[in-house]
Amino acid sequence: MHAKIKKSRATDGPEDVYDPEHGKAIIIKNLVKKFEDVTAVNDLSFEVKEGQIFGLLGPNGAGKTTTINMMIGLLKPTSGNIYVGGYNVKKSLKSIKKFIGVCPQDAAIYKFLTGRENIELFGNLHAMDKKELKQRVDELLKAVTFTEASKRKAKGYSGGMLRQINLLMALVNNPYIVFLDEPTVGMDPRARRKTWDFIGALKEQNKTVILTTHYIEEAEALSDTVAIIDYGELIAMGSPKELMEKYESKNLEKVFMKITGRRIMEGA
Amino acid sequence: MNVQRISALVKMELKKIIREPAYLFMMLLFPLVLTLSFGLGFATMPSAVPGKTQFEFMVPGLFGYACIFIIMSVAQAFSDDREQGLLKRINVTPTTSGEFMGSNLITYTSLSVLQVAIVAISAFLMGYRAQGGVAGLILAFLFVMILSLCSVGLGLITATIAKSSEAATGISFIFILPQMFFGTFIPINETTRPIAMFLPSYYVTDAITMIFNGVALTDLNIWFDLIVVLVISLVIVIVGIGLFKRYGKA
Repeated sequence: MHAKIKKSRATDGPEDVYDPEHGKAIIIKNLVKKFEDVTAVNDLSFEVKEGQIFGLLGPNGAGKTTTINMMIGLLKPTSGNIYVGGYNVKKSLKSIKKFIGVCPQDAAIYKFLTGRENIELFGNLHAMDKKELKQRVDELLKAVTFTEASKRKAKGYSGGMLRQINLLMALVNNPYIVFLDEPTVGMDPRARRKTWDFIGALKEQNKTVILTTHYIEEAEALSDTVAIIDYGELIAMGSPKELMEKYESKNLEKVFMKITGRRIMEGA
Repeated sequence: MNVQRISALVKMELKKIIREPAYLFMMLLFPLVLTLSFGLGFATMPSAVPGKTQFEFMVPGLFGYACIFIIMSVAQAFSDDREQGLLKRINVTPTTSGEFMGSNLITYTSLSVLQVAIVAISAFLMGYRAQGGVAGLILAFLFVMILSLCSVGLGLITATIAKSSEAATGISFIFILPQMFFGTFIPINETTRPIAMFLPSYYVTDAITMIFNGVALTDLNIWFDLIVVLVISLVIVIVGIGLFKRYGKA
């Protein structure tokens, strides 16, 4: 009999527990999302194991962000079910919000606040203990060597710096499941590499990371499992190594081109 | 309701006002410049009311006038935050709609009341003396507070309709101009009264005029105005929150 792991996320109340089902941080069953005549997500089903970095890949408009937005409750599915940390998104979004962190595609930051103030604000929105929050913010800023710049208003930050703060804001509550939507877009190669190390370290902290990216090499370097979606459908899933073997390709980029290219030609 | 979340959001909004020169001007300098301009322009001009200058006649209306401009500030602030994805980002934290809306109602109602306080102090410095004593002033500020709440509600409705912060500025005038012309310092006549009777600022200006002219605070007309403006404001705030929650966050 499987023993459920229940971990308190010490914020608001006793209902606030992270309770993955049989080691599955996320379960998606027959997910469909339609926008009037357009089917953005079509009968999508997959599972994400706890503690994995899960890369969600696909061409522009494939349905990646729509899928993530449904997982975090910003969009309602037309049909199907999503379980995050053991909770059904339709019924228990309030509980889910306490143990997830979301890094949106476009840096959503208050420009008149300093980098530190932005991170602290979101810690406060998670009702974190003041002392714990200060420690956590110090720890995060130190990890990406952002300490001095964090005292300046975000208005003067470069695109890469805004991206870094965007990411730290998603991690302030020490979430169990982290959703990273194109986290390194606009970063220079050095900052991107540093962010990769940072994301890789999340796995060591047993966090489950859902990563969407346009950088295939990023997904290959970081992901334990990759799911490739196109036209809202799952067309391939496995570890980067498994996919490369299956599609007889030297790297994930070639796998991706092979799969999506073939589909595009079929659909033409 | 979590006090820590509400307090963090209120502090953030206040920092926005303090650190953004455009907001700071709208919030603090605008009521000061407004009152000084009217004071200098109309302090010696006789009004239709015997024994009162035009400026003295206008002051109760300036109270309402200062309140209704918060509509634009609220609409711009919400539209800006929505454009930058900040509303969605807050929406994926445990912050409830009640906490989010509550913090904004607290912030912008307080700022609006502060604007009216600046009008009151400036008018006093320009020689205006209200009757009604301290109790009258408190009652006048109660009216101001309710009208400010109503203006925040209208700001939310504006932000829901507007697709961008630029559009929000323009659309906010749909709510500002009628209240300005038919419910504040411009005299109402028989033609404009039927329009004015639908505007909350009309009842606020009417009540504050009575209070500052020394009408007894127990006068039923004042309390009738209070009930009307309270009902209109509650309806607008509820509609504003409802519309914004349903259509305004995306």
